[in-house]
Amino acid sequence: MGKLRYLTKEGFRNLKVNKLMSVASVTVLFSCLMLIGIAFMILVNIQSFISGIEAENVIMVYADIEANDYEYMALGNDLRSIGNIASVEEIEKEAAYEQILSEMDANLREYLSGLDKNPLPDAYRVTVADMSGFETVVEEIKGLERIERVYENSSLARQLQGIRDSVTYISIGMIVLLFIVSLFIISNTIKVTMFSRRLEISIMKSVGATNSFIRWPFMVEGIIIGVIAGILATGAVWAVYEFALGSFATMLSGFGGEVQVEFLDYALYLVAAFVCIGIFTGVFGSATSIRKYLKERKFVELED
Amino acid sequence: MIQFTNVSKKYDTGTNYALKDINLTIEKGEFVFVVGSSGAGKSTFLKLMMREEVPSTGSIVVEDIDLTKIKKRDIPKFRRRLGIVFQDFRLIPNMTVFDNVAFAMRVIGTKEKKIRRRVPYVLSLMGLNEKARNYPKELSGGEQQRVALARALANNAEIIIADEPTGNVDPQMSYEIVDLLMRLNEAGTTVIMVTHEHSLVRCFDKRVIILDKGAVVSDGGAVVREQATSHINPVSEIENEYVVPPEEDYSAYAQDTEIQLVEEIVVAEEETIAAGGDN
Repeated sequence: MGKLRYLTKEGFRNLKVNKLMSVASVTVLFSCLMLIGIAFMILVNIQSFISGIEAENVIMVYADIEANDYEYMALGNDLRSIGNIASVEEIEKEAAYEQILSEMDANLREYLSGLDKNPLPDAYRVTVADMSGFETVVEEIKGLERIERVYENSSLARQLQGIRDSVTYISIGMIVLLFIVSLFIISNTIKVTMFSRRLEISIMKSVGATNSFIRWPFMVEGIIIGVIAGILATGAVWAVYEFALGSFATMLSGFGGEVQVEFLDYALYLVAAFVCIGIFTGVFGSATSIRKYLKERKFVELED
Repeated sequence: MIQFTNVSKKYDTGTNYALKDINLTIEKGEFVFVVGSSGAGKSTFLKLMMREEVPSTGSIVVEDIDLTKIKKRDIPKFRRRLGIVFQDFRLIPNMTVFDNVAFAMRVIGTKEKKIRRRVPYVLSLMGLNEKARNYPKELSGGEQQRVALARALANNAEIIIADEPTGNVDPQMSYEIVDLLMRLNEAGTTVIMVTHEHSLVRCFDKRVIILDKGAVVSDGGAVVREQATSHINPVSEIENEYVVPPEEDYSAYAQDTEIQLVEEIVVAEEETIAAGGDN
């Protein structure tokens, strides 16, 4: 265990000795991770925003105004027998009328209830399970009997589907790209520190240190850089997100739906992901750059 | 024991053989000078012995280990049996003398307790006890080379391989360093020292292997060496295209070594252990 402590201490010492390089790589990696985090938060927000709208995107099926209770129930059964349907909700005309009346001004309500005639048809609120089959469902519903009118907005649903897909792909692409960049940054830092410590490495090799022993401090260095950058990036993404939310919240609410995504719901995932990226890039970046280095660099560079 | 059998080495980049058909044996406890000019194959000779390079043909056995058959992962373990001293000292500038020596032990996972006992001991062997807390740049060239030698000794090397250890130090110190190597040899360590200074070699009555163009041109004690190099004495001459650098009169230093060494190595060890080696 003393050995492990020594090696870890060496890793920290590396960082201190190569202060400028360490600060530079933490900064660059931090920027990368921050961009990853922002891309991720944008993705999450758009996803949640679209699902919010999609949830609203139901098919309203109004029964024939002449239809009696029995026919209305039969229509419900017909609707439920259609595939790809998430739910079928009954909206009886009495309840719907009450609802409308309650939202009206008192005088008008007085007047309308005095009429004793409900102008609304019975209806069903149908939600579709898989949005890609939305139009088929609409067609099937339209083919049913005892229907006055079908109200839907398939083009909006379609558009949203397209936006969601492209946002997902773009975000994932960006995240992957930035991840690769991070990997390069870490392995480059390690290469530089390794070059500045080639004397020590040559001595280590000449006295018989194993390659894994030589490698460990550099890995520790990479991990520390990754973890520091990860924690800083999480904080930065939080700040940026809260700021952006303040500026855009009013604009977003115009589209309807309370779709605000709380950063703290995702903070833990982000920290975990960033620290993992840090550790992975640290280990992987140092492993690859050292392997090459240990192989190429002989400890004896003698003039013959 | 070190045994070269029909060893030839040709580098991928070169057209000529760096070493050609070398056959020689160095016994345990022997002191050997390897002499040759630039390009004679001295470095290749050392690299082969340290398993830094593998021979193109032939076999090398060092202390019962066949270096042509050794597994990659066993190489570090093999190197721990060697103590290597370089011309440029290779001391880590931001570590004290103590830490430089301790470094060699730390990187092979030696316990700190043992390091604290061993380092003062090897430093005392080299007469460097006072300098333990100094940094390399505060020391003279000769002192730095002694630190490097202490580091080579730290892990109880069976064989000391010194590559031009006197190359960067003044003649007085050169003599002292070889003298130190002699004392280590007397304590039982095999010593192989590469140099190009014939005059230095002449001060000591030891086996000398002369390499030229990758071949052994002379191998033997004082008598053999005198015969082999008689044609190039006493001043620099060109013979067999073998260039001897201007001579330095080392015999002047032979009576004049000021270095304070512990006479009996064994006694020193006992003392250090008794003192607890606190540092």
